[in-house]
Amino acid sequence: MLWTDKYRPQTLDEVVGNNKEKEIIQNWVRNWKNGNPQQPLLLVGPPGIGKTTLALVIAKEFSESIELNASDKRSQDIIKSTIGESSSSKSLFGDEYKLIIMDEVDGIHGTNDRGGVKAIGEIIKNSKHPMILIANDFYSKRITSIKTKCTVIKMAKVRSPSIRKALKEIAQKEEIKANPKALDLIAKKSNGDMRSAINTLQALSDTDEVLEPADVENLRTKDDRSDIFNAITGVLKSKNPQHVREALRVDEDPTLVMEYIAENIPREYANKNEIKKAYENIAKADLYFGRAQRSRNYGYWKYASDFMGIGVSSSKKQTYKKFTKIQTPTIFTLMGRNRGKRNLRDGIAEKMSVKMHISHAIAISMFPYLEIMFKNDELAWEISDFLELEDTEIKRFRKKVIPKKVIKKMEAKKAQMRVEERDRRFEELQNQMMNAPEEIAIEEEPAEEPLPFEIPGLDDEKEITEEEPQQIKEKEPEEEPQKVKEKEVEEKPEKEKAKKKTDKQVSLFSF
Amino acid sequence: MTGPWVEKYRPQTLEDIVGQKQIITRLEKYVGEKSMPNLMFTGPAGVGKTTTALALVKSILGEYWRQNFLELNASDARGIDTVRDRIKNFCRLKPVGAPFRIIFLDEVDNMTKDAQHALRREMEMYTKTASFILSCNYSSKIIDPIQSRCAIFRFAPIKGEEIAQRLRYICESEGFEADDKGLETIVYFAEGDMRKAVNVLQAAASEGEAITEESVYEVVSKAKPQDIGNMINKALTGDFLGARTILRETMVLQGTSGEDMVSQIYSEVSKRVSEGKMEADFYIDLIEAIADCDFRIREGANPRIQLEALLTKFI
Repeated sequence: MLWTDKYRPQTLDEVVGNNKEKEIIQNWVRNWKNGNPQQPLLLVGPPGIGKTTLALVIAKEFSESIELNASDKRSQDIIKSTIGESSSSKSLFGDEYKLIIMDEVDGIHGTNDRGGVKAIGEIIKNSKHPMILIANDFYSKRITSIKTKCTVIKMAKVRSPSIRKALKEIAQKEEIKANPKALDLIAKKSNGDMRSAINTLQALSDTDEVLEPADVENLRTKDDRSDIFNAITGVLKSKNPQHVREALRVDEDPTLVMEYIAENIPREYANKNEIKKAYENIAKADLYFGRAQRSRNYGYWKYASDFMGIGVSSSKKQTYKKFTKIQTPTIFTLMGRNRGKRNLRDGIAEKMSVKMHISHAIAISMFPYLEIMFKNDELAWEISDFLELEDTEIKRFRKKVIPKKVIKKMEAKKAQMRVEERDRRFEELQNQMMNAPEEIAIEEEPAEEPLPFEIPGLDDEKEITEEEPQQIKEKEPEEEPQKVKEKEVEEKPEKEKAKKKTDKQVSLFSF
Repeated sequence: MTGPWVEKYRPQTLEDIVGQKQIITRLEKYVGEKSMPNLMFTGPAGVGKTTTALALVKSILGEYWRQNFLELNASDARGIDTVRDRIKNFCRLKPVGAPFRIIFLDEVDNMTKDAQHALRREMEMYTKTASFILSCNYSSKIIDPIQSRCAIFRFAPIKGEEIAQRLRYICESEGFEADDKGLETIVYFAEGDMRKAVNVLQAAASEGEAITEESVYEVVSKAKPQDIGNMINKALTGDFLGARTILRETMVLQGTSGEDMVSQIYSEVSKRVSEGKMEADFYIDLIEAIADCDFRIREGANPRIQLEALLTKFI
């Protein structure tokens, strides 16, 4: 059993430090219990200082509690099924409140979807139950709108004497012999993170021997990982390779960390040559990430990490004595804001790829030519008709709608062409019948097949038997893709539903 | 009435295919024998890999080709699992009215090594009922086990004269006037890419006048991403953040590919040096950076990051 769970404080008094904050919380609980609804609490502070513990302690004061982890995708369903209804319906008896605990509301999962903030905002607005939200980063953009709707409680790091005291108590209970200096060192190294300190103690004290400071020296705990902002600051502000390496030990996708560093290089470095050098290192890091991805040889990551860390940090002559706010890469917001446009683009590309046997990339590379072609009304209609583009998709290539007159004319022309084609085919068939009657069977057989690919709208004009052979001749290369497409159309509503669902799931917590 | 000319004038039979004569002769033998090994078509864009595959499939599978043919784009977003599922479902069924079934996989070089290994297993599993045609730009990016299971055909860029001839044929069929200078200009810009040539031709023709050197130039310059010059100006005056924003917008919104961006940047700076607006020394430094960037993108780096780094070389 993890000692962090075993020795988790069970009452408010046992929670170490943050006395003022505890008082506010106590009042908050008391008010709720007196039937006096309060704003949700937002506990903010670095990891391992007891935010979740506090929430769990408070939960005991209420008859029931629900704990949701923001990084957990299933949470969305749980919210819907449990809180969604029950949160707004108040029970008749005042003390039957459910405490809703939402952990990691600033969790960096998924991309930048604003739906998530909105969803939490709505729950806050409608909730008749006490809520506690927990976040690490007070300045996270993800919680700006939430902050205003909550009573914010900023919790500080735990002071190292308090940590040392707690460690000593645990050591006694576990009957571990430890040099007090070793405990002191763990406490200091933990940098105010109680959880990491206790984990370290547990990791080190598996043996019968006395715990000495030297043992602590050698250990690099996993829990001293900093968050992404500290990592970026470390790289940009430091010139010490050791320090930079340590700063980069974050539990994040390394390519995301690279994007953050790249984003902030020109904001921190002022000298042109420094920017050049630093960005060259980013480019090299990226190259090795790409090679790792392609070859599945993740050994390349260590080079990438050194390029983007030590490489970037040593690109400056000296450290800048200024404050730079670390910014989220604008590429993410750009992609988020333009999701609609990109969906439109990809939708057209998909249609083209099915009809024209090309990949999305090649389809998109043809867009500039299509823009020119679409200036011609008739050609615009022809291509739209061929690709079965919707009006919104046509708008991607031309601002003006295709004039009604042109549409009418082209539709008439198309119908005319079909009639001519039919007559020609009919004549051909007749000739064949006269010349080689035994071939008819072969000619007619495929007529069974194309039925499913029939273009809608054709059959109400003509008899199927005559239409069929012509269809094959005319559309031969496209028949198969069309079939595929129709299949997709059938599947689409479901797919879209499924997609929407996942989108929402992600979005709720990934703002 | 059939929309884009690239599709309308796609050759339907092997003998209609422009260029690649040796390859076609070879493939026609397979048609005669009614059997074929797994094939790999490699070569740059627009040289007829897909066209050849489609034409071959039609003549080798005969009138039931549609039922026995599966076309998949390996590089598009769909995961390898989807690709494998579809291959599996397709191969499980016996060929109907044809000697075997054919799966055409496009842009295999954009698949990861893992995905390629998975594909290799699929290829082994269904050798009795199905043949594969793989197409890629660079065969060097295909794992050896796959290469060794395929007969490899290298498609060369189409010769200028052959492109010109095809363009002339299209002009005649569509009733358009085109002067030789105009067609020559298209051929020059197409660089052996028939798809590009036909797209430029149709775009030029859509303006309703005869195809001349000027009208072709106009289309080519209009079809370029417009902001490249602006972006370079910003970078040259030291506004790196501004330049980077334009780069990101162009790539995200217009979806311009990394390779296109590189070649646009190249032609922009090369124009500047020949107009005397850029020092030769500086130009050569830039060329080294551009070439490096180009190479790295093809090696699998993230094009946007590489281009951002390239932009710093301008400041």
